[in-house]
Amino acid sequence: MSRVLVTGAANRLGTVLATRLLADPRTELVVALDTRTPGLVPDRRLVHLEADLRAPDLTRLLAVHRIDALIHNDVLQFPEPGRSARMLHDTNVVGTLGLLAAAEALPELRTVVVRSSAAIYGSEPNSPAFFTEDMAARFALSTRWQRDVSESEKLVGALARRRPEVACTILRFQPILGRSLDTPIMRLLGSPIVPTWMGFDPMVQVIHGNDAVEAMIVALPAGVRGPVNVAAPDTVSLSRVLRRLGKTAIPIPPGAFGPVLRLAARLGMPPMDEDTARYLHYGRGVDTTRMRTELGFTPALSSIGAIELVAMTGVAAG
Amino acid sequence: MRIPLLPEFPPLSAGPREDRWGYDPDFATALEPWLDFMYKRWWRVVTNGVERLPPEGPALIVANHAGVVPWDASMMAAGIRRHEGAAYRHPRFLVLDWAFSLPWASVGIRRFGGVPASPDNALALLKEGHRVMVFPEGTKGVGKPFSRRYRLERFGRGGFIELALRAGAPIVPCAVVGSEEIYPKLGELPFLARLTGAPYFPVTPTFPLLGPFGAIPLPSRWRIEFDDPIDLAGLAPEAAEDRARVFELAEEVRERIQAKVFQNLVEREGAFL
Repeated sequence: MSRVLVTGAANRLGTVLATRLLADPRTELVVALDTRTPGLVPDRRLVHLEADLRAPDLTRLLAVHRIDALIHNDVLQFPEPGRSARMLHDTNVVGTLGLLAAAEALPELRTVVVRSSAAIYGSEPNSPAFFTEDMAARFALSTRWQRDVSESEKLVGALARRRPEVACTILRFQPILGRSLDTPIMRLLGSPIVPTWMGFDPMVQVIHGNDAVEAMIVALPAGVRGPVNVAAPDTVSLSRVLRRLGKTAIPIPPGAFGPVLRLAARLGMPPMDEDTARYLHYGRGVDTTRMRTELGFTPALSSIGAIELVAMTGVAAG
Repeated sequence: MRIPLLPEFPPLSAGPREDRWGYDPDFATALEPWLDFMYKRWWRVVTNGVERLPPEGPALIVANHAGVVPWDASMMAAGIRRHEGAAYRHPRFLVLDWAFSLPWASVGIRRFGGVPASPDNALALLKEGHRVMVFPEGTKGVGKPFSRRYRLERFGRGGFIELALRAGAPIVPCAVVGSEEIYPKLGELPFLARLTGAPYFPVTPTFPLLGPFGAIPLPSRWRIEFDDPIDLAGLAPEAAEDRARVFELAEEVRERIQAKVFQNLVEREGAFL
């Protein structure tokens, strides 16, 4: 595996990913694709490509680099002021569509690794404690982000059908934790008080950012086809997480959860997306057998370990 | 007799020893004095046949289900614990999905070892070597009227047989007598059931007439008996695909439990005294 295209190279995970790839002498070339310039150390094996995934000339831009592997890491997870749900859909689904259309035309392409989300399973009171990869259709997709994730995965499936020689791996990550990550869960933990559902204490499962990057790197040569859950093997209850991080839980009666959070958002608290709200209500666990056996990957940190590390290093973004 | 009315009630936040299913051994231990009071003083439970449970490895404990509010699982666990002592392995329970949408109750049930009743959960627990308790009658059993007491309902679709076959776990039939009298269900208020999303909304002599006091179960006399394990090891896991065979086995287990229920009913003599 030597000539790799990394999308979303300017986001935190993408930057670390590109750096890790360049540290490997077997890497011939890294093409860092993003609309922003990634903060990467210059390297003669590194090419910046400042382009949008939806750009019509993407095929032509990529053709010259003889790319044989693609890591699609450009996913937006939550709407916020200035970034609407429609824009999320555009970047996540239409962006993936454009990227994969361009990728299909790359003759040397052999591996595609897509960063997806375990949110596709949803968070339900009656869900199995550990979702396996074949349970994505167990519950109706109830949030916009879930539908986006599902649609993007279908696009990857379509590419896998049309180009059978390309191994397409879909990595379904549980929420990613890491000191300098801007993810919904990190925003939540960055605040001294955390709203919780009164009378509920869900089991949560996470993965540390370093392990998430490692999983994408391991996935390149592994060539596993189809979805793989990526998470630390253990699950932890939310009350224990908050206690460990020294956060104050503010229990909100179930009926008032939505209105209270909307009011808090008006008063300047970070807004919470629907998926995170549901995750806080019912939690979610995934089965990691396929990750260990087929992908051959074992995270360095457990869920509780990742939380302890965040507790030690702080959750401030930056 | 000291009524342990105020042993410290365990907090609902998780202790450091919780496992990945959310079972918290410290929570379960903290509940023991309460359950022991119900077991010994309130219902004067007599448990037989605990020695028939396999001391190690997985086992699927299949029991009849009754009493509107399913106290039976906790009493079965208490019975096993009191007989096994130090060798006790806490069983896990398959619990009606609806319970996991309830505030507080859902947390308490999970910390005590309950999981949503899905075959995936049961299979994974059995493969980890746990004892799993299942009540194939489900809500049909707990929610049946008092007039139909001690007549076992249909055993679902025989899913528990498939589970035992796939996991290679023995089935231990268990009969519970006494649970039928704790809340004699005389009628239902379907309108309130729809409103709360509950599988049924019971009317008993004391509920909803006495409000929260109606939640106090009647002090019936209980008997629990574990029967000889049924070893399905002779059958290949593929037998799980054989519908007719699965139904046949499920019916066999149901009949054995029904027979044990009648036998214990006779042996119990008085229902309350």
